[in-house]
Amino acid sequence: MANISVFLCKCFGEIDNTVDFDFLRKELSKNPSIVLISTVDSLCLETDIEKTVSRIKESNSEKVLIAACSILSRGNLVVESLIKEGIERHKIGLVDIREGCAWIHGDDPAGVTKKAKDLINIGIAALQHKELSDDMSVTVHPNALIIGAGPAGLAAAISLAKTRFKVNILERSKAPGGMLRLISRCYPGNEDASNKLEPYIREVENNPLITFYPQSKIASIEGDTGNFTVHFSSQEKDSSIKSGVIIIATGAKIFFPTGLYGYGEIKNVITQMEFERQILNGSLETKKPVFIQCVGARDKKRPYCSTICCPISLKNASRIAEDVPGASVFILHRGIMTPGNTLEKYYRDTLASGVQFIRFEEEHPPRIIGSDHVESVEVYDAITGITRKIETDLVVLSTPLVPNNDNAQLAKMMDIEVDRYGFFSEIYPMHPLETKTDGIFICGSARWPVSSDNSILQGKAAAMKAVSYLRQSKITASTLSRVPGLKAGHARVVTESCTGCGNCVAACPFNACHLEKMEGRYISVVNMMKCKACGSCVSVCPNGSVQIPEHNYRMVGEMIKMAF
Amino acid sequence: MNQPRILIFACKWCGFIGADAAGKKRTSLPSQFRIIPVECASLVETDAILRALAGGIDGIAVLGCHIGGCRYNNANHTAIKRLELLQDLLDTTGIGRSRLLLSFGTAHEDYQFEEIIKNFFDELILLPPLDPWLSPFGVIS
Amino acid sequence: MTGFEHTQNTKKNAVLVVGGGVAGITASLDLANAGHTVHLVENKSHLGGQVSELDKLYPTDHCAFCPLWTDVKKCMEHSLITVHTLSHVKGLEKENGNCSAVILRSPRYIDEKKCVFCGRCEKECPVGAIHSEWEHLNPPSFVIDEALCTQCGNCTNVCPSDAINMELKEEEIHLLVSYVIWATGFKEADIHHLKEYGSGTHPDIMTSMEFEEWTAEAGTNRGTIIKKSDGAVPANIAFIQCAGARDLRMIPSCSAVCCMHALKQAEWVKRRNKGIDCWIFYTDLRTVGRDYYRYSLRDFEGAGINLVRGRPGLIHPLPGGKGIAVQFENTITQKREIRRFDIVILNGNIQPSLIQLRSEQSEKTVVPQINKEGFVITESDETPDFACGFGLEPADVAESVIQASATAMRVINKESDQW
Repeated sequence: MANISVFLCKCFGEIDNTVDFDFLRKELSKNPSIVLISTVDSLCLETDIEKTVSRIKESNSEKVLIAACSILSRGNLVVESLIKEGIERHKIGLVDIREGCAWIHGDDPAGVTKKAKDLINIGIAALQHKELSDDMSVTVHPNALIIGAGPAGLAAAISLAKTRFKVNILERSKAPGGMLRLISRCYPGNEDASNKLEPYIREVENNPLITFYPQSKIASIEGDTGNFTVHFSSQEKDSSIKSGVIIIATGAKIFFPTGLYGYGEIKNVITQMEFERQILNGSLETKKPVFIQCVGARDKKRPYCSTICCPISLKNASRIAEDVPGASVFILHRGIMTPGNTLEKYYRDTLASGVQFIRFEEEHPPRIIGSDHVESVEVYDAITGITRKIETDLVVLSTPLVPNNDNAQLAKMMDIEVDRYGFFSEIYPMHPLETKTDGIFICGSARWPVSSDNSILQGKAAAMKAVSYLRQSKITASTLSRVPGLKAGHARVVTESCTGCGNCVAACPFNACHLEKMEGRYISVVNMMKCKACGSCVSVCPNGSVQIPEHNYRMVGEMIKMAF
Repeated sequence: MNQPRILIFACKWCGFIGADAAGKKRTSLPSQFRIIPVECASLVETDAILRALAGGIDGIAVLGCHIGGCRYNNANHTAIKRLELLQDLLDTTGIGRSRLLLSFGTAHEDYQFEEIIKNFFDELILLPPLDPWLSPFGVIS
Repeated sequence: MTGFEHTQNTKKNAVLVVGGGVAGITASLDLANAGHTVHLVENKSHLGGQVSELDKLYPTDHCAFCPLWTDVKKCMEHSLITVHTLSHVKGLEKENGNCSAVILRSPRYIDEKKCVFCGRCEKECPVGAIHSEWEHLNPPSFVIDEALCTQCGNCTNVCPSDAINMELKEEEIHLLVSYVIWATGFKEADIHHLKEYGSGTHPDIMTSMEFEEWTAEAGTNRGTIIKKSDGAVPANIAFIQCAGARDLRMIPSCSAVCCMHALKQAEWVKRRNKGIDCWIFYTDLRTVGRDYYRYSLRDFEGAGINLVRGRPGLIHPLPGGKGIAVQFENTITQKREIRRFDIVILNGNIQPSLIQLRSEQSEKTVVPQINKEGFVITESDETPDFACGFGLEPADVAESVIQASATAMRVINKESDQW
């Protein structure tokens, strides 16, 4: 058993006016491995920390136990100051005898001192049997891989290139631009889409730090934070790239509302994208358009609001209302979704331009009248209670963005998740662009339907998150923590006893365990870059082969023995 | 009067915060409980709970974060399922599920922690002591 | 993050972040993790902003505390971030592409580095001017409310660690920074002058944040729902959306967060007491984010939340303590009704805090250029001003945090003098 120094903090009487320190000292001196017992007025305010440390060294102690206040109070300050003086973290133990003892049992003098003694003994047992986890570092590849060259991916790429990092962009189609290539104007400023896109494309072509791979297909992704390898083919040529981070900016898909509102059967019933295409190729001719919102959205199949369809209708409706003399424009909606300042003003301006809004309820959708081509739309106006028949020459359906078909497959390659709708999942609530795997970020409509402006914003934000990884030359696994400070440790497998049952593989929430064949049998191997020391594997291992060294089986057993 | 002995495994996040808050507010509590902080409730092994019971501890409480709030990607989901299974096992072996208290997200305020602990003490007092021959490690006095 | 070796060892310019809410914290952490020195200035005595006043968050129904506390802790422990609480920006002068900033720090009187949280000062204070702040302070500490303090000196005498110094004065801190990020968030606006809402006419007509504190698990009533007027359990609660917002008389914009906030509050009322009838009076129920629409569809075993489309025309207290009358038209059924409610919550009257700051203390606090509604104007390329969060555009937690990261990236890119 190692020699231990024990420091008891009186906390200016807050602890020692209830806990009997004399009794504690007497009991603790019975333990032969305790070579130093020191009582201090206040450990955290001790100015002469070097004196404390030299006392520890003089007494030949290997480990230090501090009995003071809670780790959420000032206990951790003492630990940190000892670490600064060169004592290793796993050789320091902290026991809470203030919030956890003196302050809650003041009216039980016998009980409070016994509890303090027991808590200290638990701490000593923990300290004696605590082991140190392994750790590892990887060199960070100082380049980023961006999947998808829509506005989100382009903004991320350019931000990263400006920060002097090499960027590789994989794009499924032939050219960059994503959905921005297919529309004429962007809301809310009515900026021309190709003008908006042009500087991004120019930058991608000219910036030597950006390499663009068109017509790409991803075959597999290996590796971990700081050190990903992506195998892909671009224009039929196989290739692979090593990257420090990956940003997913694959966008979303357009939904074709076949069977809804006569789409596909009746002429002049089109989607918003087709409306844009007609503008771009000059074939748009309408004087009495009717826009219908929530087509295939906010219903049982797709119970979500696709965020952008209301502003898109405002954009296209006001265009007709302003440009076509004598136009009669209607938007049939179930609530105009324009939250915020800019979008709400956009709504007010559209109202002012003469566009008429009619609200309908989900139970009474509008009815298309016309056999071969649309003649009118009949709608029950929920606000007035009157059924109206609107003559029209064009019905434009606002449909939601839906997740790409291969989102789930891509997610699996990277050990991240998709949500119930199929979009990539985030970490709630304050890390919306981060995923289960450190170093993999999501942005744009791949994450959740957003406008082009917000895609660009999210691309920049994802690039920011990437920069903090890329600006390190090495990443140590213990720093990839979900909590302030370092991880609690890493799971470790005792290969001699591991039976390869695979329980840990199934239980690990981060996919950090996998089975490998070694000497003819299967053994579990822990990937420290992914392991977060949550302990899920430990509690499902049938024979205790996988442990977290800082909280191992023997340690817990000894702690329990000393508890009372 | 012999108070029952309670061992609490509290996760360092939601689990521990209620206990710490009770401490900071100096809530008066019975002294016969000990807290062992763990990184996540999923680290609490079934084996540790059984050894504690076999060693003479009257009740075990596992405090974790509420469902959906685990910072280890819902590791507490599997923990709850496993521990509820353990409660069933305790019933079948005659030890009784009431000796294992599970609180996931219901003890993160000081008054919640107080209520849960006091109720647990009251429940345990009514139970007969565990048979001494169940403790191969010797009875803890 | 600790133990990192930065590849690019060039000294990075310091950034001033004004506002310690979720946006300010995120921007600070992003910049610091990328190697920048950050000075984070916050009015209150702790970080966390409006989210630290919330009980639960939508759409996950998480507690607001834990995730916020994690990032606050990271901020306070980061070696490159200096947090200035109880502070505001007194002066900001731009010269040669830099800013010399003057931060005015109000005296804390109790040195949080020395306070051991024993609480003897609180006990000895004759006027109750001292209270503990531990939820978001790290390490925890006691704080003296200057307004109530009578300078009797009792606390100074009993403090065992000499942490109290009542002689402390305001301190001016001079900083040289290259960029300023305004992340000042929102404040509730007074709508007494919009008479139809009855604000201030009855104790049970509350604002949204008042109700949040009143029913918070960590708040006054420990999560039980009772009336402010007589402490009885209410039979029903009305949530009035767009109170003051989408209103050309006052706040023309939509406050973005209130629809989901009301749904969340109604959800938690139902969870705590299923029998309380909840009514939400809305104009458009704005549920655009992930899982937001599904959240609005919740049905508590049939005893759901009544969603009525209509903005009440009159809310007034009934005589004899009989509650509050709400007169409205259900625009979907075209029926006009008057209903009696026990509690009425006015939701929507939130505006950028800069608009109030500008009118209150124009000499003492620097306010960036803001438009009529109070949002920061950042179009100009010459200014080193950036903005994120509600101060730029009404936004919830996810949006604010995204904006903060994007703003941090723009600051870093501006360093390379392009984009």
